[in-house]
Amino acid sequence: MLKAFGYFVELLRGIWITTRHFNVNMWFHTLNLFGIKTKRKGAVTIQYPEQKKDLASRHRSLHRLMKRDDGKPRCVACLLCVTVCPSECIVIEAAEDPDPEIQKYPSTFVIDLNRCCFCGFCVEACPEDALRMDTAKIDLAQTSHDALIFGLDKLLK
Amino acid sequence: MVKIFLDGGPVEVVEGTTVFKAAQRAGIAIPHFCYHPAFVPEGSCRLCLVEIEGSPKLELSCSMVVREGMKVSTQSPAVREARRAVLEFILAEHPLDCPICDKAGECKLQDYYQDYGLTESVFREFKEKREKKVRIGDQLILDRERCVLCTRCVRFLAEITKTHELGLFERGIHSEIGGYENEPVRNGYSGNLVDLCPVGAITDTEFRFKTRSWFLTKGESICPLCSRGCNIFIDYHPGFPRVAGSAKVYRIRPRTNEAVNGPWICDHGRYGYVDLQRKNRCEKLIWNKGPGSTTELSWDKALIVIGEKIKALRENGKTGRISLILTTWLTNEELFLIKKIFKDGLGVRNVSFADPAPGTEDGFLLRADRTPNRRGAREMGFEVKPVDLDVLARDSDILFIFGSSLAGGSNDGAWKAALEKVSVKILVTAHLNELASAADFVLPASSVAEKSGTLTNADGRIQRIAAIARACGDIRPEVQILLDLAREIHLDDAYFGALTGPEEVHRELAKDIPFFGARP
Repeated sequence: MLKAFGYFVELLRGIWITTRHFNVNMWFHTLNLFGIKTKRKGAVTIQYPEQKKDLASRHRSLHRLMKRDDGKPRCVACLLCVTVCPSECIVIEAAEDPDPEIQKYPSTFVIDLNRCCFCGFCVEACPEDALRMDTAKIDLAQTSHDALIFGLDKLLK
Repeated sequence: MVKIFLDGGPVEVVEGTTVFKAAQRAGIAIPHFCYHPAFVPEGSCRLCLVEIEGSPKLELSCSMVVREGMKVSTQSPAVREARRAVLEFILAEHPLDCPICDKAGECKLQDYYQDYGLTESVFREFKEKREKKVRIGDQLILDRERCVLCTRCVRFLAEITKTHELGLFERGIHSEIGGYENEPVRNGYSGNLVDLCPVGAITDTEFRFKTRSWFLTKGESICPLCSRGCNIFIDYHPGFPRVAGSAKVYRIRPRTNEAVNGPWICDHGRYGYVDLQRKNRCEKLIWNKGPGSTTELSWDKALIVIGEKIKALRENGKTGRISLILTTWLTNEELFLIKKIFKDGLGVRNVSFADPAPGTEDGFLLRADRTPNRRGAREMGFEVKPVDLDVLARDSDILFIFGSSLAGGSNDGAWKAALEKVSVKILVTAHLNELASAADFVLPASSVAEKSGTLTNADGRIQRIAAIARACGDIRPEVQILLDLAREIHLDDAYFGALTGPEEVHRELAKDIPFFGARP
């Protein structure tokens, strides 16, 4: 009997908290509407994913490969990102570029996002600024593992 | 004997020794580019400078001969300053393309900069532009910007191969390594230039851009491509996840052994070995049931099927109708097990050898016999005779073929007809060729890098090979295959049951045959 009474008290407490939040926020929204107390805003729910907040400029999102002026990848396949990667998710195969000033370019460049932990070490290791994580793309969920293996075609886009 | 003092410590060396070698004996490393133990000291890199008490200026340790009571300092401030200055001059012209240089990670210049330099360059001038990609040999590419002009390559070609393909041209800042037009470095030992080069100026196309040196694991082994038995390092990548696919051998480097190969290996071994490990590998156990019908078998199933066939012959007392075609590519341990199981155990007499055709000897390292263990097979008591196809076709019901050298060569095509007449053909091989389609059972065996054992070179030197790369697929080492087979047919269970691997087999071998008793 005492236990059932305890549940009832908690129920009332819950209703009280919800009502308080509603009233406080509604109160400030109403005041703001008339231009009063504009420093204190009422709480707003963001309707993700239709509505998106801005990301911080240093936010690490999906990787992209930078291009040279002529459209070739800026990457020289030095494999430093492969070396530094803690989750060992990058695979690069290098090939010989006919231009002796470039010499080396990646014939395959694969990032396995299934394994990637988004630490951004690869971006810091890159001596050519060829790899960046600034696409602001964060909704990466897929229905298969294969769709999360990104090759040159997707990374250069 | 002469007594000298190196950094205060007394060292006794033979008269006529250079300061550099004395320091090396005392365990003091002196940086150097141009010095190499196999060549006459050149003294062009100026990096091995040391301070000698009583001498007005710093001396080159590589060419300075020791004197009684000499007091040498290899780490004094003046020496360190001089080395730093030499490095600064070298780096004034050296491009910093380490991220795409194949030498990075094992580069002497990187190491010495770490030890002595670590300073900003004071040069404001642009670096000289030079050719980045000059083909100087079939596998060799020269990058003139990276070259530090130590002339090790020139001296190798002048003193060791005596072919003189490369030379030092022009003077001063225009100095460069070069050769004559249309006369590439082609002498069978060109790959050594890549190892000799202290920086990444000479790279070979086989390894160029394939991977980075720090991913590679090195293992000690013996080159199986001729009967010299050169000592080598196998550099391999352990495979996934940093590269797609399984473990892979990337390059072969010489391992110094003055008694066998010195610090060199030939191109035949260096480039042949990598192919040996990668090309046409047999990875699946296959049963060719009939024309157009093949299935993959598990090892357990295959051993039962093969064991049944041998047991059936044994019950009729016809084990003499088992024939063996061996190869001198097999290790001592494998040959010993074959001898124990087939010759001693089953009484097989028809044993012959199929080997690749001998090549030409080049008078330096490469021998005409292109297999590693002919001497071992002889010492084991095998008569190394070629295959007699007529006898083979007449007297065999079961034929075991080790290695795939039977196909090809002079008897082209004839072996097919002979094999047709044998009812059961079992091929144990690491590499696939035409022979695989003619055999009934194809058992995938490990290649030289994937098994351990010993090989006997032509001079009777017994040298150890170790399993370095991990085998993929169904591949099993021959020793294991043979032991499993012996257990399957219950041949002397007490004896073969006690043997578990090449180590135990070698112990038995050493007990049995006095030649193998002396450890390498």
